[in-house]
Amino acid sequence: MERAILSSRWIRSLPFILLALLGLAVRLPQLGNRPMHTDEAINGYIVGQLLAGQPYLYDPQDRHGPSLSALALPLARVQGDRSFADLTEAQLRLTSVIAGTITILLFGAAAEMFGFVPCLIAAGLFAFAPLPVYYDRYFIHESLFCAATFGLILSGWRAATTGKLAPALWAGVSAGIMLASKETAVLHFFALAASVVVFWLWNRSGTAASTRISPRTLLIASGMFVALSTLLFTWFGQNWRALPALLHATPHLVSRAAGQGHEKPFWYFAQLLASGRSGGVLVALTCLGFLAALKPRGPAPYRFLAIYFVLIAAIYSLIPYKTPWLALNLWLPIALFAGGAVSLLWQAATSHAFVRIAIPAFGIFVILAATLIARDTRQRVYLQPADENNPYAYAHTTDDILGLPTEIMELAQRDGISNPRIAVIASDPWPLPWYLRRFSQIGFWQPGQQPDRADFYITSTEVAEQYHSQLKDFRPDFFGERPGVLILLWLPAPK
Amino acid sequence: MRIFVSRVSPIAAALLFAAVAVAQDKVPLKLQLPKPLFVGTPVPLNVPNLEPPLKGKRADFMVPAGTINLSKGKKVTASDDSPVTGTLDLVTDGDKAGDEGSWVELGPGKQWVQIDLAKKSTVYAVLVWHYHSQARVYRDVVAQVSDDPNFKSGVTTIFNNDFKNEVGAGAGKDQNYVETYQGKLIDGKGAQGRYVRLYSNGNTTNKLNDYIEVEVWGKPAA
Repeated sequence: MERAILSSRWIRSLPFILLALLGLAVRLPQLGNRPMHTDEAINGYIVGQLLAGQPYLYDPQDRHGPSLSALALPLARVQGDRSFADLTEAQLRLTSVIAGTITILLFGAAAEMFGFVPCLIAAGLFAFAPLPVYYDRYFIHESLFCAATFGLILSGWRAATTGKLAPALWAGVSAGIMLASKETAVLHFFALAASVVVFWLWNRSGTAASTRISPRTLLIASGMFVALSTLLFTWFGQNWRALPALLHATPHLVSRAAGQGHEKPFWYFAQLLASGRSGGVLVALTCLGFLAALKPRGPAPYRFLAIYFVLIAAIYSLIPYKTPWLALNLWLPIALFAGGAVSLLWQAATSHAFVRIAIPAFGIFVILAATLIARDTRQRVYLQPADENNPYAYAHTTDDILGLPTEIMELAQRDGISNPRIAVIASDPWPLPWYLRRFSQIGFWQPGQQPDRADFYITSTEVAEQYHSQLKDFRPDFFGERPGVLILLWLPAPK
Repeated sequence: MRIFVSRVSPIAAALLFAAVAVAQDKVPLKLQLPKPLFVGTPVPLNVPNLEPPLKGKRADFMVPAGTINLSKGKKVTASDDSPVTGTLDLVTDGDKAGDEGSWVELGPGKQWVQIDLAKKSTVYAVLVWHYHSQARVYRDVVAQVSDDPNFKSGVTTIFNNDFKNEVGAGAGKDQNYVETYQGKLIDGKGAQGRYVRLYSNGNTTNKLNDYIEVEVWGKPAA
């Protein structure tokens, strides 16, 4: 009877739908409270350009692919936004929240591959653990990329094992979304392809699924991938220059991979994942699940996942360029291994001779782990989301910047200026365009350029000296842009 | 003309003698500075209405001979009884290195710390290190001296850059400054009192208020 219930696909999906809804509920509160990170501000500006009717212009120098914007644009329109000034933090971040919620749902689709109980636990971990919750509330490409990666793994496996058309098409769609999210998709494609080869070699004597990948399946998936990538990068045929730009992006990407100020040691991701009160428990469970996956008679999908995990973790760890949100890519296998480990522990507890002790011990362990996870999520996501001591808040915009537009508005009102003219002089003004988006008379200049006359000037600390004569009747007020990075708001000096 | 010169000369000579005597009584304030915790002050500013950054060592600040650090080890109270980090005794423990564990962090918004010098004193200089491992500006810094522990009467304000009067000590005209390992030297102007109180209102990195060390240089009143 129980078996019959579980075999019903709909009923098996219900717990995942419930977990996805709970994950959504955890991701939505206070969505607009954290200041906009520079990368979020740039992505917001791009959505603003699209709202203004401009096409997405792919530029590998300072933009990733158009997937995030393509998803955010209709969401912004539905919410009534018509221009950059209308956008809010919460509206934009909703895109990432939805992508994260889809990822939780995909664990339900993974149940056939990795087992019902491990996937249920993995979905629960992804729904509530601090790192996925934090970056699913961040308007960057990572959560969408993560969902698409999961989609590619699931549909790719299904296409390989069944040879059916639909999963092959889904694999192409997922791969297309991945590339049109971030160019680092090629690293994942490489890791997945290498995993397929290693998996095939490992299982040559057995009945390995990888041996069934037919040229037809590959062709269908590749065709879909090329078609969708072309459609998105050219912004539905409006910008064909994006294709050569994408092909010529390699030198820039190689240069970026070298670090560009974001160099971190090899063990950075391991350290990040093990941080907090719950990190140690999660890493221990992951290790247990990983080792179990290497057993010769273990389930084949876990073996494939183990190979992929080793490769992708090694690639991300070896590349000097590291930012904490990249760890979200490691969280898919981590959640599945941890889910598998918890499932194994339960089996061990129930089959143990001292079952009366083992089951309560297992229960205490689960409660303890859940408490630690909840504590870390509360601390890092809600209480200190932009604090420099929060390892997820990387080069984050400080709360102090929120006072900048308010101060300009107050002083303009005091001086009877209805529409203040603001001149910003800085080599890197971000995220100021976001915070000053509601002022209509605003200009941005590079150091050395001569700005127009303005009621308020904003300068980086380094360039203020060059504008000595222009600023002599102004009084400076410092604002923190990021920890240790200051900007100056020049206010009309009291007479 | 000759008569005028002959009358004025003795007065000028007397004034000059007095000035030399006073000057001889003054000595440079000897400070021990911690090591810098971030390389290079990121604010090479020399612009109007902004305190220029210190380039190299601070110029000698003259104080009367016999001036001592009155605050070392003295009792500290604060508006925040439960600091976010550290304890209030860190404010006067003599450790200004600025590394982990050397500062007290008071809660968000407007806060003050108060040092009880144990007896009425004449204050010639106050040196304050809020936090110096990154470029930060502390908002609405106000320094006051008083004999009243509640700072309701007989209050002398010796520094105030709270130009919007957030603290309520009146709109200040002193300039903002970036924290460095050299600390902020405030001229005590010979203010007299037993208590020294320092206000701040968050900083450019977060809304909290940090104090690594406060030195109050002066002499116990006779």
